[in-house]
Amino acid sequence: MLTLSCPSCGANVEFKSKASVYAVCSFCKSCLVRQDMDLEKIGTVADLLDDLTPIQIGTSGMFSNEKFEVIGRLKVGYADGFWNEWFTMFGDGKVGWLAEAQGFYALCFPFFEVQVPSKASLFPGKTVDLGSKGIFEIEDLRPVKCLFSEGELPFNAVQGRESTSVDLTGFEDEMATIEYAANETRMFLGAYKDFDDFQFKNLRHIDGW
Amino acid sequence: MAGNPGDPQPPDDKSAVPDPPPPTKPRVKTFSCPSCGASITLKYPGASMSIVCDSCSSIIDVSNPNYTILTEYFRKVDLYTPNIPLGSRGKLRGKTFEVIGFMVRSDVASKYYWMEYLLFNPYYGYRWLTQDKGNFTLVNTIKRKPEIKQTTMGFKSFEFASLEYKGEKKFRLYNKGKARVDFVIGEFYWRVAVGSEVLMADYIEPPEMLSMEKDDTEVVWSLAEHIDPKEIEEAFKVKGMLPQSVVIGAIEPSAATANWKKIWVIWVLFLVFLTCTQYFFVATAKNEMATQYIGNFVPNTKVNDITVPVFNMEKNSANVLINLQAPVNNSWFYVSGELVNNTDGTSYPFEMTSEFYSGTDSDGYWSEGSSSKDLEISAVPGGQYYLNIDTESGDFKDVSQKQFTLSVRRDVPSYANYWWFAFFLSIVPLWCWALMRRDEVARWANSDYSPYITADS
Repeated sequence: MLTLSCPSCGANVEFKSKASVYAVCSFCKSCLVRQDMDLEKIGTVADLLDDLTPIQIGTSGMFSNEKFEVIGRLKVGYADGFWNEWFTMFGDGKVGWLAEAQGFYALCFPFFEVQVPSKASLFPGKTVDLGSKGIFEIEDLRPVKCLFSEGELPFNAVQGRESTSVDLTGFEDEMATIEYAANETRMFLGAYKDFDDFQFKNLRHIDGW
Repeated sequence: MAGNPGDPQPPDDKSAVPDPPPPTKPRVKTFSCPSCGASITLKYPGASMSIVCDSCSSIIDVSNPNYTILTEYFRKVDLYTPNIPLGSRGKLRGKTFEVIGFMVRSDVASKYYWMEYLLFNPYYGYRWLTQDKGNFTLVNTIKRKPEIKQTTMGFKSFEFASLEYKGEKKFRLYNKGKARVDFVIGEFYWRVAVGSEVLMADYIEPPEMLSMEKDDTEVVWSLAEHIDPKEIEEAFKVKGMLPQSVVIGAIEPSAATANWKKIWVIWVLFLVFLTCTQYFFVATAKNEMATQYIGNFVPNTKVNDITVPVFNMEKNSANVLINLQAPVNNSWFYVSGELVNNTDGTSYPFEMTSEFYSGTDSDGYWSEGSSSKDLEISAVPGGQYYLNIDTESGDFKDVSQKQFTLSVRRDVPSYANYWWFAFFLSIVPLWCWALMRRDEVARWANSDYSPYITADS
């Protein structure tokens, strides 16, 4: 773990994962970009007005018998809603994403086995061959905007960052997602699981529940 | 509420877990209706996208704090009242849910309507409780898209949805149409609109149903399971407030169908076993002639006390078939007598008539009876036997002396027991089948795709 101090307020800013290059100061909400040991402030994150999610930075859970911890968050919005992508780190330093929307939870990892198809060739209902992982079907394809970020992340997630998100479903509970951002395209592969299967700990307490 | 996932937990064995952030701000949001000005309380901001104003029934977009009007009304529309009040909380299948929305939808073509309650738990997300007259289902959206296939059974082709999840499951098409939103109250996770329509199709495999809803932008599948109204009444504390079921629900489990599914395999196995056994008996029956007696008679007279000499029948109990042949033609020949054991005197009385009549009338030629007559005596022990018989005849035109033949066969193939066994052991299965069919016909009565109605009727 790397601990640096916020160039704006001097508070400690932690980088638990080596993959993280961006963090939001938990004290002054500055967006900080890391270059080796230097932090540069590139903006400030405005508070979230309405936020009803059971996950928080520090929530831990289990996936495939491995324990992970939530260390960062990206909340993205599209025309008809939003979802959260929680940056997670496993004990061995491996990182993944816990996608959370309307009570659905999926954990996915970077996937490099096949070449990512071009965005223009995709549409909902189209099938995509993911090599040894089988054939996946595109469920939706939507332009999204970063609404909020906190904790640490492996890319710059300033509010308003635009990208296109493509969700795919595979056999049984498998899922994949492709993110087309301004200067990079990334693909992830994982699985939907029931909330209870994750055996979450240190969940956020929701008032009244 | 106790037992929810968000309750504080004892510290993990690793003390590296960071301290939880400070408690969240109060969740509920109150604002004035942009249409009528009345106060609206949004219970789940950050999750709900739209809410219906209690006072004027306008639908407000709450996805951002601008609170714009999606649909404007000017008065409260009270067409339907939910049987489970909004805000009720209850524990269903181990999870606590709150009723946050209610809508009434109908089939555009038939106007058939049903009700849907939107249930919410911030940890587990959304569920639907549908109320179709007195039948309820608990519905969960699924991410996986089932495959729609066509198959043929008998002469009929039908559509089914197949869900490959821990083994393939086939759901048969039950209903297809356009569903329209007629009425809404409460808050919803999308921008709800009265009058909006979706294409939908339901596929059933009781006690479960797969449903597809399709609009211009997406296809959503859900998996529903039958739920007993009593379970709901108990969970939401609405005892006696739910309508009673009068007909079997689309995916309500039927005890008769369950029984039939258990019994029919046993029944078929039994019939196969019985038939095999019968074949064995037929194949191994000795079918030997024990004696043949040819007697003379003068037509239209009685002859008493004829004795057929002693003959041998092999040991072991077996049946005896007595065959009578007489030259009857528009006449009858009657034999009464007894088969007597020469050693112990056990007697088996019998009587039989050979008769044959024919003629012509306005319908043409007719005939009844036969010159040959069989009679079976079952379970006769082996030993020495003789026959005592009396004969009588009548209606003969030609009264010259004639001959009759009485043959006694030992251990002949017999089907009588087989048919009786099959009949008695089929009574219960057939009764179960009838009960199953009654339930299934009723279940499919609301469907255009009933397998119990032929295509041309």
